[in-house]
Amino acid sequence: MEIPYIVTPRKDTGLFNSKIAIWLFLASEVMLFGGFFSAYVFLRLGADYPWPERTLPVLPGLINTFVLIGSSVTVVFAWASLKMRQWRKFQIFMGITVFCALIFMVLKAIEYNVKFHHQAVRLSDYSIMEGHLGFEMAGDKPVLDHKGNKIEENLIYVETSKLTFNTVRFHKPWVEEFLTEAEHKNSKIVLAADVTAITKEGQKAPEIVAKAGEALSIEFLNRLQKIHLAARSHNGAYRTAALRGEWVKAHAANPGKRDWQIASGVNIDVKALAPKLLDEISTVAFKVDPPTSFDFHPRDIKEADGQSTLRDGTVVDGKLEASPMVFHHVDAIDFQYLVMKAVAKGIDPEVAIQNSWLMKNSPFVQQAWKWHLAEMDKLKKELAVHHREPTHKELYRLGWKDLARMAEEEGGAKISGADQFKEEFFGPNYEARGAETFPEFSLPREQVGFAAKFSPAWNTYYAIYFTITGLHGLHVIGGALVLSYYLFFGKKMYLTNPEWLANRVEIGGLFWHFVDLVWIFVFPILYLM
Amino acid sequence: MADSPEEIKKAVRTYLIVGGILFLGTILTVLVATYPPFDVGAHGFDKWDCILGLTIATIKATLVASIFMHLNHEKKAIYWLFGSGICAVISLAGLTALALGDPIFDKFFYSGH
Repeated sequence: MEIPYIVTPRKDTGLFNSKIAIWLFLASEVMLFGGFFSAYVFLRLGADYPWPERTLPVLPGLINTFVLIGSSVTVVFAWASLKMRQWRKFQIFMGITVFCALIFMVLKAIEYNVKFHHQAVRLSDYSIMEGHLGFEMAGDKPVLDHKGNKIEENLIYVETSKLTFNTVRFHKPWVEEFLTEAEHKNSKIVLAADVTAITKEGQKAPEIVAKAGEALSIEFLNRLQKIHLAARSHNGAYRTAALRGEWVKAHAANPGKRDWQIASGVNIDVKALAPKLLDEISTVAFKVDPPTSFDFHPRDIKEADGQSTLRDGTVVDGKLEASPMVFHHVDAIDFQYLVMKAVAKGIDPEVAIQNSWLMKNSPFVQQAWKWHLAEMDKLKKELAVHHREPTHKELYRLGWKDLARMAEEEGGAKISGADQFKEEFFGPNYEARGAETFPEFSLPREQVGFAAKFSPAWNTYYAIYFTITGLHGLHVIGGALVLSYYLFFGKKMYLTNPEWLANRVEIGGLFWHFVDLVWIFVFPILYLM
Repeated sequence: MADSPEEIKKAVRTYLIVGGILFLGTILTVLVATYPPFDVGAHGFDKWDCILGLTIATIKATLVASIFMHLNHEKKAIYWLFGSGICAVISLAGLTALALGDPIFDKFFYSGH
C-alpha cells in the first residue's frame, strides 16, 4: 500500500503528513515539560526547607549542554547532506550525532550513580550531615552476612523476643528472612499461645485452631489468613443484611422522609447479631526462643525501644540495640535547615549552631566550624567592598570542597590535578584525600531524624530533578534510537527514494532539536539556579 | 524552506553561526552563575540572575526553534499547532504565580539573598 503525502505536500496544509504529525507531537511535549517546569516553580516557592541552590556539578552539565548543541548542529548537517545527496557525509554527521547522545547518557548515568550512593541524614535538631556509609569491614575485607551479602552500616538491630504478624498484610519475603536468620542463629520462632476461634456459625465454644509451640511458616500464616478472611466475609454479609433490614424498617416507620433525616436512628442491634458472628484472627503472636537479634533496613521499620513496627504491620517486641549510622567518610555539614528553624523561633543562628548536637559531640565539626567562621569573616570583608553579603548557603554550609580546602590548608592530603578533575564528575575522592579530610563518624540512631540517599526521597528538589532529567534522558534514548535506525538501515531507502529518507531525517531531527531545546532550559534551572 | 542545493549550502553557514552563538550563550550563562564579576544583582543567586539566565536560555531556545527547526519560514498550519501548545503552557504555568498567595509560602527563603 502506498502511503500518501510522505514526499509531496498536501495541497491544503502545504506540508507532508509526517511533518504535521511531529509538530502535533512536539506541541504535546511542550505541554508535558511545561507542566513539570510549573511543578518545579511550585515546589521551589512552597519549599519548607532550604532549597538546594546550585548543588549539582556544573562541569558535567556544561559538557552535556555542549554535546547536545553540537549534536543539534550535526543532525541538521546530516539532513542537509541528504538533501544534497551526499550519503557519506550524511553517515559521518549522523554518526557524530548518535555518538553525542551516547556521551550525554554516560555522563548522566555517572551523575545518577553518584547521587544514589551518597547518603544524607537530617538530625533531630535539623543539622544535616552528608557522606558515604560503606559496609562493615574486618580489616580490608567486608564482613558478610549469613547469605554472603555485604552489610551496610545503616541497619537497625532489635533483640527480638516476640513477633506479632498481621495475618493479611504480612510480607512473605520478610517472614522467610526471619526464619532463615533465626535458623542461622539457632533460635526458634514458635506460636506463643493457643489460637482459638469460633469458625462455624452455631458453634458453642471456640475451637483450637493452632496449638502453642507450632513453628512459624508461610503455610501456617496462610492457613490463619484463610480462616480470618472467611470469618470476615461471613460477618460482613451478616452486618450488611442486618443494616439493610434496619433501613427497610426505618423507611416503613417514617414514610416520606429522606435518608439523611432518618439515618441517625438506623443502627444494627450488635448484641442480637453477636451469636451469629465468627471470630476474626487479624493478628497472631510468636515468641522467639531464645530472644535473637534481627536486623532491619531503616526504611522498613519504625523503631522504638520495647516495641517497633515494620511496614507490613508486624510488631517486633524487644530491646532496641545500639544501631549507629556509621559514615565511613563525612563530606558535608549543613546548618542551613537548623538556622531556618532557629530564625523562625527568634533564636540567633550562631547560638543555635553552637547548641546543636554535632557541635557538642564532634571535635571534627567543632574544628571545621571554627575554620569556616574565619573563612566567612574573610569573605564578608571581601564582599563588603562591593556592598555585598555572603549567601545563606555560604554562611551555613560546609560542602566537600570546603572540607578538602580546609584539610589542604592544615597540611592534609593534596591530590593531583587529574584527580581533582575526576572529582568534578564522580564527587569527592575519599581514597586519595583520606580520613583526615573526610573522617569517619558514628551517629547514634536516636539522633537520626530522617535519612536517605540523594534520591527522590531526600527532598522535593531531588524528586523534581530526577523526574525532569529522567524524562529528558528517556527522550535522548528514544531520539538516538530513531536516528541510529536512519543511520544503519537507511541506505536502501536512500537508493530507492532519497527524498523520503530526507523527510524522515528532518522529522527525527526536529525531535532531536526539541530534546536540545528542553535541555537549554533544564541546565540553567536545575544546575545553576 | 531551503530546498535547492544552493540554498542549503547557504543555510549550512547559518547553522554554524547559530551553533557558535549557542555555545557562547551557554558559556555566558555559566559565567553569570559561577564567576563573581558576571554576577548581576546581589551576591549569589537572586531574581536578577534568574531573569538573566532565563533570558539567555529563551534566546537560545528561540534560535534553535527558528533556525534549526526552520520555524522562521514555516507553513501557517505549524504556527497554529505549535503556537497553541506554547500558549497553553504559558497560560497554565502563569497560574503558578498564584502560589505567591499560598499560605505555605515562606518569605524567609524568597527574600533574594
